[in-house]
Amino acid sequence: MAISRRTFLQRSLAGGAALTAFGFDITPVYAQARSLKIDRTTETRSTCPYCSVSCGVIIHTLGDKAKNAVPQVVHVEGDPDHPINRGTLCPKGASLEQDIANDRRLLKPQVRRPGSERWEDIGWDQAIDEIGRLVKKTRDATFVEKDPRGRTVNRCEGIAFNGGCTDTNEFNYLVVKTMRSLGVCYLENQARV
Amino acid sequence: MRDGWQQRIDRASALAATADATRPLLESYGRLLVLQRDCYAALDRQADRLSGSLERDLTVVAACVPPILADLAATGPPSLAEDAKRTLDAGESSIASMLVAGWRAPSDRAFFARIVLQPYASWLAARGVALVDRDLPRHDNVCPFCGGRPQVSILQHAPEGEGGGRELQCGTCFTTWPYRRVRCARCGEDNERQLGYFRSDAFAHLRIDACETCRHYVKSVDLTRLGLAVPIVDEVAGAPLDLWAQERGYEKIELNLVGL
Repeated sequence: MAISRRTFLQRSLAGGAALTAFGFDITPVYAQARSLKIDRTTETRSTCPYCSVSCGVIIHTLGDKAKNAVPQVVHVEGDPDHPINRGTLCPKGASLEQDIANDRRLLKPQVRRPGSERWEDIGWDQAIDEIGRLVKKTRDATFVEKDPRGRTVNRCEGIAFNGGCTDTNEFNYLVVKTMRSLGVCYLENQARV
Repeated sequence: MRDGWQQRIDRASALAATADATRPLLESYGRLLVLQRDCYAALDRQADRLSGSLERDLTVVAACVPPILADLAATGPPSLAEDAKRTLDAGESSIASMLVAGWRAPSDRAFFARIVLQPYASWLAARGVALVDRDLPRHDNVCPFCGGRPQVSILQHAPEGEGGGRELQCGTCFTTWPYRRVRCARCGEDNERQLGYFRSDAFAHLRIDACETCRHYVKSVDLTRLGLAVPIVDEVAGAPLDLWAQERGYEKIELNLVGL
């Protein structure tokens, strides 16, 4: 015999009837439910950017999907279902949240002049001009067109480029194209560390 | 089985002692757990007569029902007591039919069948006695032992990992099985944009895992936040979250024993 529909669940407060589930009084539960402050998060699977192991991560983002709300990353953890890392992360990967949400993150270019002990803010245009001028000066001074045996090598041995572990594929593609066009041989990336 | 009956009873009692709004519900659930524990013990005493086929085991299982109905008729809330008395008065054949129907076509709304079939199914699962008369759909979102739907999702550290691996716990036999984290436990949706997780500071180790595709949800108990939790009981303690979700149009994959 099935339990009666009346006993199963009475949810209407109309007429002052108590809320019940299977006859159990849930009026106080309902009252608490009305007072709850609920946060919505999403879990997004992604890949750790730090090295070529490519561990799986789950990024927790707080936000109710409202159009005027900015989603905020609140937690990053290893993906327990990922076949490479099975939920584990190295110390760098475990600190990914701080890479995304960090008030010390640099948002504008800075320069430390030769002999100076402090970094100073400069504008983007000034930074690009100075970098361009110094690259040209260094390349002109150190460019090797032919090696001692007379073979054409077109090497720029006075410049090295070190990439960062959070650089994107697209950025790294442009780096290689740009540096090779200058003749730079010494290309390295911190992700290899 | 992840936890024992006594552990569940103790947890329900501990939670009821500190809860406010959910205290009456937890006290009622604690009494139901005591009835189920006694039922499980009665089944265990006749272990040699249980085969995994309810129709063959019916005599033993059905014998557990009258004491439970009598108790509910005497101590249950008025409408439930009335239904319990009516079921008791309907006689043995009616009780047997109720159990068989509840076994063949499980329903989270068949309260009286479920209160007995849970101990029966969990006894079979604990002893590894395979079910022989029940269709077992082979999907990873239903129990691999009995085919039941998940009652609760559990997050906990994997033995070799650090992240919160996920398991689902069956609402019928309490078997647990691994299930992917970012995936709907009902329809299998794995588009992250369609999955939402709702949490309240009032229940720090609980959350609602909801799917916008099928509009169903299951509650998760996060054992990485509270290792003392007993999932099947703490899930009941989070009843306000159920009402919050159901008011917003989400339907629970499997109602718990107290109907939420």
